[in-house]
Amino acid sequence: MSAKNTWKLHRWSTILLLPLIVYLFIKIIHLSTLPYQLILSELSNLWGVGFILIFTVLGLIHMNTGVHEILDDYVHSDVVKKILNVIISIFFLLILVFVCLSLLLIFIG
Amino acid sequence: MVQFNLPDNSKLIDGDYYKSEKSNGNIKKFKIYRWSPDDEKNPRMDTYEVDLDDCGPMVLDAVMKIKSEIDTSLTFRRSCREGICGSCAMNIDGTNTLACTKAISDMKGDIKIYPLPHMPVIKDLVTNLKTLYKQLKSIKPWLMNKKQNANDTENIQSRNDREKLDGLYECILCACCSTSCPSYWWNSDKYLGPAVLLQSYRWLQDSRDEERKERLKELDDTFKVYRCHTIMNCTQACPKGLNPAKAIAGIKQMIAQQ
Repeated sequence: MSAKNTWKLHRWSTILLLPLIVYLFIKIIHLSTLPYQLILSELSNLWGVGFILIFTVLGLIHMNTGVHEILDDYVHSDVVKKILNVIISIFFLLILVFVCLSLLLIFIG
Repeated sequence: MVQFNLPDNSKLIDGDYYKSEKSNGNIKKFKIYRWSPDDEKNPRMDTYEVDLDDCGPMVLDAVMKIKSEIDTSLTFRRSCREGICGSCAMNIDGTNTLACTKAISDMKGDIKIYPLPHMPVIKDLVTNLKTLYKQLKSIKPWLMNKKQNANDTENIQSRNDREKLDGLYECILCACCSTSCPSYWWNSDKYLGPAVLLQSYRWLQDSRDEERKERLKELDDTFKVYRCHTIMNCTQACPKGLNPAKAIAGIKQMIAQQ
């Protein structure tokens, strides 16, 4: 991806995440007042699953571009940078897999 | 990777103390960084007592007085003495600025003077600005206009277009901004830095220039522009009151709109 598009992606993901983070806080406060069964049903409906997936994907895109910026800033060895890039990508992929598995478990009860 | 430890012979030590002949005058202490490539000694901080009643009002006046009357070996750059040439840029009291426009009375206590930070030191307060000039050359800081060259006619610019250059053309390339930027400290070999990017924006904003697209294409690089993280040290440091951070934001906007 070109430097311009990476920069745009980072900015757009920030803008999109802002309202989602506000919604997430409100949702967490709301969920904390509910009993366990109701929390499960709230999270397993289509909107709940959709929100968590969108939030996770956007968050991971934002974190990924941010961490790569930090690597570009401070890691000057290309080899070390490549190794770290692979490790970070695997780490973010694992987070995504865990989130999907958790949602699936909630969804199927 | 970032180097955290300094080499042994780079650690700063206390240097010589030059006492003023007058004991009851208006004495101010100047602590100045000294290092010479001629010996293998560590850099040191020499202290000079200067009688302010017998000295000009600016830091450069004091430094020149030290050189001419106390220690002739002190090395620094200076030329115009009125904030136009940018030669006397140094780190005074923790801020990169021009010694000729920095008043002694603005600072309380002893005045510490270092060369511009994170630059290779040639001697004492003189730094090597080779990389910066190379980077300046890379952005082609001149008008590129084929039409004008062909017709040899006047290249008219509207008042509005001319006003766009205000706050840009005044840059004197003293390097105070670039050497105050942490991003430039870590990546000075690839990141162009605020001074050069301000110059670049000056030519991007020039209505008479015909190579805007090419210039922007050259700048669309992970390192050349995008190492700027809007830390804003550049704007705070600029002794001419310019805003390099705004210029960099302008470049990013222009690239994004392409």
